[in-house]
Amino acid sequence: MTGGKRKMRRWMMVTAVAATAAGTLLAVAAAEGPASLWWSPGDDRPLPAYVEYADSFGRVGILNTAGAVITDGHPFFEPIGTNGRACVSCHQPADGMSLSVASVQERWQATGGKDPLFAMIDGANCPNLPAGDKASHSLLLSRGLFRVGLPWPPRDERGAPITPEFTIEVVRDPGKCNSGPEYGINGTRHEISVYRRPRVAANLRYVASSRFGSSAFIGKTGMLAAVDPESGRPVNMNMMADARESTLKTQAQSAARTHLQMTQPLSAAQLEQIQSFELQLYGAQSWSTLGGSLNEPDGPSGIGPQAMAKGADGVLGNNTTRFVIPMEDKWARLPPGNTPEEKARNAFRESVQRGHDAFFFRTFWIRDAMHINTVGLGNPIKRTCATCHGMHMTGMDTANGWMDVGTTNKPWALEPPESPWASETPALPLFKITCRADLPPHPFLGRVIYTQDPGRALISGKCEDVGTIVIQQFRGLAARAPYFSNGSAATLRELVDFYDRRFNIKYTEQERTDLVNFLGSL
Amino acid sequence: MRAAQHVRFAAVALLMPSLLLAAPAPGTRISFVSCPILRDTRSVPCWLSDYQSERYYLTIQSDVSAEVQPPLMGHQVLVEGVVSDAKPICGGVVLSQVHLSAMPEIDANCREELPADDRYTVDFAPRPPGPSGGRLAFTADPSGGGAGPAPRQAPTPATGPQKFDVYFDFDKGVSFRHPSALSSILNAARRGTAKRAVITGVRGAHKLSNGTLLLEAANTGQRRAEEIARLLAGAGLTLPAEVKWTSGEKDADGVDDWKSRRVTVELLP
Repeated sequence: MTGGKRKMRRWMMVTAVAATAAGTLLAVAAAEGPASLWWSPGDDRPLPAYVEYADSFGRVGILNTAGAVITDGHPFFEPIGTNGRACVSCHQPADGMSLSVASVQERWQATGGKDPLFAMIDGANCPNLPAGDKASHSLLLSRGLFRVGLPWPPRDERGAPITPEFTIEVVRDPGKCNSGPEYGINGTRHEISVYRRPRVAANLRYVASSRFGSSAFIGKTGMLAAVDPESGRPVNMNMMADARESTLKTQAQSAARTHLQMTQPLSAAQLEQIQSFELQLYGAQSWSTLGGSLNEPDGPSGIGPQAMAKGADGVLGNNTTRFVIPMEDKWARLPPGNTPEEKARNAFRESVQRGHDAFFFRTFWIRDAMHINTVGLGNPIKRTCATCHGMHMTGMDTANGWMDVGTTNKPWALEPPESPWASETPALPLFKITCRADLPPHPFLGRVIYTQDPGRALISGKCEDVGTIVIQQFRGLAARAPYFSNGSAATLRELVDFYDRRFNIKYTEQERTDLVNFLGSL
Repeated sequence: MRAAQHVRFAAVALLMPSLLLAAPAPGTRISFVSCPILRDTRSVPCWLSDYQSERYYLTIQSDVSAEVQPPLMGHQVLVEGVVSDAKPICGGVVLSQVHLSAMPEIDANCREELPADDRYTVDFAPRPPGPSGGRLAFTADPSGGGAGPAPRQAPTPATGPQKFDVYFDFDKGVSFRHPSALSSILNAARRGTAKRAVITGVRGAHKLSNGTLLLEAANTGQRRAEEIARLLAGAGLTLPAEVKWTSGEKDADGVDDWKSRRVTVELLP
């Protein structure tokens, strides 16, 4: 974190807003230091009904529709495992219920690497590296990535091994985990380690909704959909990067076992408490440094945490009746303004509106993207960002949302140049996937694929799933850089630039700025 | 004089291929494998393919509700259809009853993309290249799919044998095309009185217009039948199922050969 940002955080305003029964918002402001930003497990302070935290674009708002939460004894906030972590460790309110790399670095500095966040099990590049050594935690410190160790070969929901459609080899292993004797693919644990960002634990009413695209068979592949073990009903599989968990409860149970190293399963009461909390929580950008208030009545109906609490889930928004992010052209043509502040505010708001329009209406050719060009639309298709990012209010995919846009697969994944003059070395592992010759090849990448993270394929064993990652939600982005599941875009500008390269969009400089302003206002 | 003769000879020579390979008459069934060609327009792109010096119009880009879904650039496409006398679209002879299937292997030669050209317009596109107007291109679902299809009346439970054909792309297994068909089978089995199921996978075969017999990979019928059986069982089909497979080779005659790429599921008393 830069000195400037530390200073900004030190002097930031934390605003707690309590929602009255009538829905009127009452603001309670208090100046707080950085210590109050980081939520340590067992802090035992209440999480207000509404709270705002400064971020790189202004402020992110976290809204609890059920009112303030008493965190004392709450399983989301207490260190219920053996390593001192809680769910809140990686789902920080100040980071939009995810975790920014700035916060990770701040924690390292504040604790000398002793914070439970850096637990060796997954807060290090590999558990068997030297503890306390900064290099052992380089992926977490540089990109906010946690190790995810997955069994290989994969197992189905009943624990039976799946016969993969491909073999996997380790080509590059900077963390020395995948080629090691214990955690390596051929090691005693038979694991594959990939490195991913924590997902947002807010707005989950949308993320976990099964109102759209949930049937016994996965809409994009025809394979069996995961089911809720309690109800037996199919789920939408949009929660995890690789869709390996079916419900909020199974995710919580799995995370407690792995990330928290809990030795006993969560109780039914604890699971209910975590699920209720996650379904009452909404997070979105609420204030823009340049654009002012983003909430209604100042902003459009689709922006701000209050909008998230009111929106309908399970709705396709890639249409001009519901929209992904409803803007009503509210900021399309604003008066120039009388004061310099007004002029700047209105100019920024118009930029946000243009960014929305670029997101929603600017066509380009989407090509060679698995599970989008292969689902009946053709390859290539002339469409817009909203074709894939079509879920009303979140910008996720409404259908089971894993696809390969190239964030982890070569040739599109970000890789430092291999040259005698390059100082940067590759941070992530690289795997060689060889698909079976007796089956059809991957339609765009053939039978040999190089990838930093095979994504869904590590769960399904399918060649066509290599490098496919479930689309993430758009909310609170300014509070939780970096972006993509592998943290390869350090800023929103880098994120926009990635898509521009990947799909040869040829955005103008103005379009890039507008898109960044739009995304930063969500 | 000599120069004029040269011009005439040249003109005749240019006409020769099209004289020798004139477009098939309307009503002619054709079946061929060729690269797809994409032509951009001011609206959605259209898809074409060349065969024996003729350019055929295949379809346009719309959305997942389309009956004929566009091919994949980078792959050859297996085209089956009937030559129609409709006005050409995007510079291509229109095929009716068209069926398309992307060939599975990547073909780097298939990369022809033509720019928009004012001579070619698509004024009949059911949806623009961006967001829809609130409904899918070929359904009446006003929600645009947002709330799923409208509830239908429960059909009467079947008491006799029921037969379902599930069709596939060339050499391919279960894909995005199949959730609806699989759900139909599952629902029929749950509602009906069937005591057993017979699942038969067929290795598809195509008699192409040039006389070639195009066969799917040898194990395709088996692979499909076993996959369908596994998926139905996984989704809750509890009937004992006999799984078998065969080849459609002897039935290939150039007429609707796409139907040979299938699995037939019979629910029997």
